[in-house]
Amino acid sequence: MSDGATATARLAPWRRSPVASLGLYGHFIRLAFLKFLAYRLRYYTGVVSYTIFVAGHYYLYLALYAGRAAEGLGATVGGLTVREMITYVAISWIGRSLYFNNISRDLARMVTEGEIAMHLIKPFHLQSVMMAEAVGEAGFRLIMFTIPIMLVVVPVFHVGAPAGAAALLWTLVSFTLSLVIYSQLSFLVGCLAFAMKNIQGVLRAQMVGMDFLTGVIVPFTFFPAWFQSAVNWLPFQCISYVPVMIYLGKRTGPALVDGILLQVAWAVGLTIAARLVWRYATRRVTVQGG
Amino acid sequence: MEPLIHVRDLCKDYRLTDRREGVRGGLLDLLSPRRRDLRAVDRVSFDIQPGEMVGYIGANGAGKSTTIKMLTGILTPSSGEVTVGGMVPWRQRQQYTRHIGVVFGQRTQLWWDLAVVESFRLLKKIYEVDDATYDRQMKLLDDLLDIGKLLGQPVRKLSLGQRMRCDLAAALLHRPRVLFLDEPTIGLDVVAKENIRGFLRGVQEREGVTVILTTHDLGDIEQLCRRVIIIDQGRVHFDGELSELRRRVGQTVRLSVDLRDPAASADLAAVTVGLPVNWDDETGLRHVARFNRAEVRAADVIRLVVNDRPVQDLHLAEQPIEEVVREIYRQAAANNTDSADDTGTGAAK
Repeated sequence: MSDGATATARLAPWRRSPVASLGLYGHFIRLAFLKFLAYRLRYYTGVVSYTIFVAGHYYLYLALYAGRAAEGLGATVGGLTVREMITYVAISWIGRSLYFNNISRDLARMVTEGEIAMHLIKPFHLQSVMMAEAVGEAGFRLIMFTIPIMLVVVPVFHVGAPAGAAALLWTLVSFTLSLVIYSQLSFLVGCLAFAMKNIQGVLRAQMVGMDFLTGVIVPFTFFPAWFQSAVNWLPFQCISYVPVMIYLGKRTGPALVDGILLQVAWAVGLTIAARLVWRYATRRVTVQGG
Repeated sequence: MEPLIHVRDLCKDYRLTDRREGVRGGLLDLLSPRRRDLRAVDRVSFDIQPGEMVGYIGANGAGKSTTIKMLTGILTPSSGEVTVGGMVPWRQRQQYTRHIGVVFGQRTQLWWDLAVVESFRLLKKIYEVDDATYDRQMKLLDDLLDIGKLLGQPVRKLSLGQRMRCDLAAALLHRPRVLFLDEPTIGLDVVAKENIRGFLRGVQEREGVTVILTTHDLGDIEQLCRRVIIIDQGRVHFDGELSELRRRVGQTVRLSVDLRDPAASADLAAVTVGLPVNWDDETGLRHVARFNRAEVRAADVIRLVVNDRPVQDLHLAEQPIEEVVREIYRQAAANNTDSADDTGTGAAK
């Protein structure tokens, strides 16, 4: 430009340093946090709806266990006592209030409306940007959403305490990994919008399917053995079932380590898969209007 | 000089699915969709030197936006090559986009929910602009585009003209080497258009940035670009200086005459009889003469008319560029039908 750069017709090679990357994506985390904070009014009602979800399951399981007791059957279902069951449900929903986000929906909208073009002309990776924003959103959710829900749900439904200090700590680590797995899966689903004209059905299926396959709605121990071994091969159980079982003290010692390692493996694997799919999809992208 | 932008035999095909009619057709579509390829960009080639400002024009669907999307790395071509400063846009997307600025008139690159200044701070990080450059650029862009008062407002509250000024500033913050402008004045009023054009002229002169501009508004081209590339149905039909374009089509001049007393066109035609001048009656009082400057001198026409009858006012103008471009399209269409048998290669240049 004015400093004589016009003389050469070459563009200088450039690469963002790891430190600069950290700074940039950190900035995205901060901005997402602030953005959600600006829209916080939307979330006050969420505390009510989550409490209603838990209340529904609470009375359902109380009735179920009472029915079994009346018929003289065992006091546990699928290896869980009624108190553990209530705790399972409550912690599942509390965890979901933290890791949940709308990456697939947002990405699909960007693709179908052509807004994706505005991200492709910038020197960053949209997958990393969306992951950073998901972290910022989770930070907001933790403070404005997850903690208020906990403060309501735990005393009202007599939710059991964690199996110990270590169990609590590992539960937190585990739910953090859930955030990564959930976000990358969601990003992959969003990438389907590159191939499909109408992705609304897929997005709805994802909403319902995820809650079912992660074990939020019904614990896997309720299901036949073949189903349980099938979900073992899928990433969904790593989103909710694994951290909740750690909380309940059902995963300790080697089982706990296995659970966390499995989560790390899925987080890394899905991140790489999402990057490859993104690369393939953007090479074949057709942006609306041309 | 080595060109900054090098485009050779660039093609882009879109796959379209044609729908059949009715229930039966719908079921057939499910079983065997009827697909066909549409060639949106067809063997386009051009070179652009550093510091050039080039108008890239064509009708809707002519292929200009598709070309721009390939040049900016958004789309991957079906075939052909593009290098900009030695980089292939869609392969080295991240490091390439570091060096370019893009404005799509129909979309904003600012973050919708954020105050404008927050978008600029984010762009500073994205493009790794150092503090000194950032301050200098912000001051400069504020002087030129008067965006200082807008910085505190969320983007969604800006008017179209305000947003466009902010978008231009955003595209130039990191001092790009190449600037791509896709319909930068679309939807703006006359004053806003003038401001933006003045700004672009200034930036181009001062910073020597290379600019490719697509537009429907040929006023943009007339005021900004010396060189134009005209594309129609995916093919380049003209690539050269604006003056050459005028010469190619014929240097038509438009003389409008306001008479004191109403007259018919035939009366005026009688006055200039013997000269190749076409007269059109606009209002009875206003008549427009069109003639080729190479054949007729404007002074002769004016003298003949003024000597014949009382004239209130005269106005002499070059043929508007719209008409010039329309003429190029017409010639191109004629060439296309002429050369339909030889696969149209003759019409590509």
